[in-house]
Amino acid sequence: MAASVVPESDSIRRAVSLLNAVDPGRFPRLLSRLLQKLHLKAESTFSEEEEEKLQIAFSLEKQDLHLVLETISFIWEQAVYHNLKPASLQQQLQSIHLDQDKAEAFASAWAAAGQDTIEKFRQRVLTPRKLETIGWQLNLQMAESTQAKLKSPRAVLELGVSSEDGKNLKKVFVEFNHQELFEFYNKLETIQAQLDSLT
Amino acid sequence: MAAAVGKAAAVAYGHGESGGGRGGGFLGPRVPAEVEAMARGVQDIGKETFRRLLRVAVNALEGKDCKESVKLIAESTNLSEEQIAFLISGMYTLLREALRLPLSTFKQETCMFYVAARCCYTSMVLTVLGLFLSSISDSLYFLIPEDFIVDFSSIVFGNRRPTSEGTALIQGSRLPSIQDLKWRVDVAISTSSLARALQPSILMMMKLSDGTAHRFEVPVSKFQELRYNIALILKEMNDLEKWSILKIQD
Repeated sequence: MAASVVPESDSIRRAVSLLNAVDPGRFPRLLSRLLQKLHLKAESTFSEEEEEKLQIAFSLEKQDLHLVLETISFIWEQAVYHNLKPASLQQQLQSIHLDQDKAEAFASAWAAAGQDTIEKFRQRVLTPRKLETIGWQLNLQMAESTQAKLKSPRAVLELGVSSEDGKNLKKVFVEFNHQELFEFYNKLETIQAQLDSLT
Repeated sequence: MAAAVGKAAAVAYGHGESGGGRGGGFLGPRVPAEVEAMARGVQDIGKETFRRLLRVAVNALEGKDCKESVKLIAESTNLSEEQIAFLISGMYTLLREALRLPLSTFKQETCMFYVAARCCYTSMVLTVLGLFLSSISDSLYFLIPEDFIVDFSSIVFGNRRPTSEGTALIQGSRLPSIQDLKWRVDVAISTSSLARALQPSILMMMKLSDGTAHRFEVPVSKFQELRYNIALILKEMNDLEKWSILKIQD
């Protein structure tokens, strides 16, 4: 039996009572929406207007709505961190006095989209630059200013490297002749052998 | 005798690149002005001075700095600066154009000429002479003294050719190539968002020939894509090199 992932603090207790009072009709959609947006770093999942609509729909004050949204996000983050099974998640939630139907809603939303969310978190990298796109061109160089009658095949590789937030795709161009390309390929094969030895 | 045979070859086998008739051979349809001026001016200077000027031109082709040597020549001989200028520039242009063409262009005429030169005393020298003579224009041939032509040929065909060619390749215009590739494979055991991640990742550090360095992470799926694409390019390159059009020697 896993230790409790949701601590019983005052704000949690208050949130639970609010959650229990919420109308169960729109509840599942709210849950899945928050789960989908979990891996994005942006603070607010909802815009101002959407928040106002939610306030009306769930008949909650602004402060209370924020508390509810934060608590749900926190529960999701913990589920991701500990890689909980849906059943165990439901149990945990019921042990902090969440109503059964709400806990069930959590469990089914988690069963549907939980693994995908974990995968997205797995792929998240901390390094500043990441390889995003690969493009290439195979050319036959006929001549250049210092050499005539060449007929030498050359490959141009275009690597799209992005910064952490996915913007600013910088293109790096690298040219290879046959020999250089072969050496590069051998290096990639070595890396692949290392990856294979991990599994 | 040597001159006569050489001249016969020049007439019989046409001229290097442009394929026969009047003109400058590998120098193009019109001989560049500085080469012609050099050809005229070179008759009046001694062999020693010629050799020094030639050495300066060769150093320039190999990318070395020649200001000192030019100054020395200017001081020790009685040539004016203008004369030195057009002599060196003529030699430089002549050699540069000759070095542009691969050796195979000249080699074709070797076997044909060797037959004619067999009767001459140093067929080796003459093969080289003949190759060069058959490629420069008639007008230049008459102007440049034979010894000097031998010196020119020895640069174009001799041991120093790979150095000049090497410099040409380095200075040639091309996109940066990989100078150094360092990599590492990491496995992330735990992160702030996942207690048990166990996700392998690859970090690459690429140094390019233009001095820039790029460090980036390659997710495993992208790495597979990269590997696939590189293998595909290699296959295409191999297919390309088998094309029969590439086997035609010109």
